[in-house]
Amino acid sequence: MRVCMFCIVFLWGTGLAWGLPATGDDREPASILTLPADPISFQPGPGSDLASRYCLMCHSAEYVYMQPPHSREHWMEIVNKMKTTFGCPISNEDMGPLADYLVTQNSLQPSPSAQHVQRDDWMETPGQPLTQSGDPQKGKAIYERHCVTCHGPGGKGDGPIGQALIPPAANLTFLGKQSDQTILDTLRNGRPGTAMPAWKNDLNALELNHLLSFLRTLAP
Amino acid sequence: MNEKNPGIDRRQLLKTSLALGLCALTPSELRANDDSTVTLPFERGRRPLVAFPQKRPLMVMTTRPPQLETPFHIFNEDIFTPNDAFFVRWHLANIPQEIDVNTFRLTIRGRVNQSLSLSLHELHTQFEQIEIAAVCQCAGNSRGFFQPRVPGGQWGNGAMGNANWKGIRLRDLLHRAGITGDAVQVRFDGLDQPVAQATPDFRKSLPLNDALQEEVLVAHSMNGKALPMLNGYPLRLVAPGWYATYWVKMLNDIEVLNQADQNFWTTQAYRLPADPCHCVKPGEALTNTVPIGKLPVRSFITNLEEGRTIPGGEPCTIKGIAFDQGYGIDRVLFSVDGGQQWQSARLGKDFGDFSFRSWEAQFIPKPGHAYALQSLAINRIGESQRFSARWNPSGYLRNVIETVNIQTS
Repeated sequence: MRVCMFCIVFLWGTGLAWGLPATGDDREPASILTLPADPISFQPGPGSDLASRYCLMCHSAEYVYMQPPHSREHWMEIVNKMKTTFGCPISNEDMGPLADYLVTQNSLQPSPSAQHVQRDDWMETPGQPLTQSGDPQKGKAIYERHCVTCHGPGGKGDGPIGQALIPPAANLTFLGKQSDQTILDTLRNGRPGTAMPAWKNDLNALELNHLLSFLRTLAP
Repeated sequence: MNEKNPGIDRRQLLKTSLALGLCALTPSELRANDDSTVTLPFERGRRPLVAFPQKRPLMVMTTRPPQLETPFHIFNEDIFTPNDAFFVRWHLANIPQEIDVNTFRLTIRGRVNQSLSLSLHELHTQFEQIEIAAVCQCAGNSRGFFQPRVPGGQWGNGAMGNANWKGIRLRDLLHRAGITGDAVQVRFDGLDQPVAQATPDFRKSLPLNDALQEEVLVAHSMNGKALPMLNGYPLRLVAPGWYATYWVKMLNDIEVLNQADQNFWTTQAYRLPADPCHCVKPGEALTNTVPIGKLPVRSFITNLEEGRTIPGGEPCTIKGIAFDQGYGIDRVLFSVDGGQQWQSARLGKDFGDFSFRSWEAQFIPKPGHAYALQSLAINRIGESQRFSARWNPSGYLRNVIETVNIQTS
């Protein structure tokens, strides 16, 4: 007993125990961080696809919904700052429509950030079961609208934005081994720690399945 | 009563605890009405309460990157803010999700005689371990209260906290590396990265002389435990008296510079109007700016909140906290009539010049009256809080006297 006590004291004294997860009421190991997926996305409307494409790669939609009312001029300044200062690859022609959309979101009452969003509320949409056969042609159209700027036309992660990300956009031709469920989960909830946003509020279950069908043509 | 602990003797304590139950809100009364949200008193101020890793449910301002605010009632419960309630603010979403404690290294490089690469074990065993109580306050704390409103993170008053930080002196590290004669600044970088390559990496710099002050630590622990991941595990800079923007988290690189840091986060972000007030008229363009620096003196009432009704005709003890940039709190004044008349509050235990300092004051409210409660802290060099709120376009440096309006039954 005395020897054991000495061992513990000795280990602590040399600092070998230091850096290990603290004991007690810690809820998970101290050196692991598992962050939650975004609870909300941008509300559907003209320009919401632009906000999803450009804003969500770096931050959650709450950044917009917590803001007090700003004028359109002010939102243009913010869009410009995101483009020129923070390096968001917003094309010149998308700047105005994006600012227009942000103005509409900024005046929503109540703000969506105040709402509690069910993580899997989309599953309860009537007539839209979890997995179903999608149409790859419809999926291609969705892919070209939302995905191609990062993942590239062939899905190799070589889109104009995708290569500028840390880590770079995923090569979707390697998705073959992943289950439908895994891919749908990533599409819905995004991948924390990367630019991959959650699409569950932009795309409904049917659209996600169309997209999945198209992704399968990239990664048979 | 000794000099370090002037305020409270046993008899006063007894009186205080007898009086406390009559007007102060209980911890549960100070908490949110429902357990899922807190609503801050400004437009779009509703915040869901969500438990992130190693955290109790905190007010979520943003999920990615995480920005979590401490519900204000926490500040009434303990002069030290519990680790699992301590606010969280990251700039960049690419945050490491795992730290390998065996391979992690802190590098000290740049204008030094010998670059260092130190393991956590070496940092822990080869340097003197120092502990200091200090307030960590976000530059944007209280931004949501600016009028007119300004863009940015819409914090209430809970983007601050007080902790006992433990680690090693930055200057001990710098001296071991040996600073060259031309060194002027020290730059700090953490493991967090941007998501887009074109986004400037988050780095902050301190002037060399400030970096060499004895209270500046590379800390591994807060309140006796390893830093939570979201507060910068395994190491963060602790720069007592400075705004939290300088307290770089997941610190892994210290670079001594021989010229002023030109990186974005120093030259363009976290800037104040250069005039002594650090304020402008709303809408006025900024011409000259300076980097944000140290904490102006502030105080808060913590045991009553806006709009509450308390019993009239009974003694009421008001409790609160005060802090400044490290001169220490000299006194706190208390007013029940919106600042027309002031009385001295009693200061609580002194945990050091950089810590929260508790205070309390008593008054006997009349039945059926409205009261505008205020506190006014003055530090040991005579600086007080502002009587009118300053305005600047980034919403920094709020330290106006705060008011809590209450009624009596």
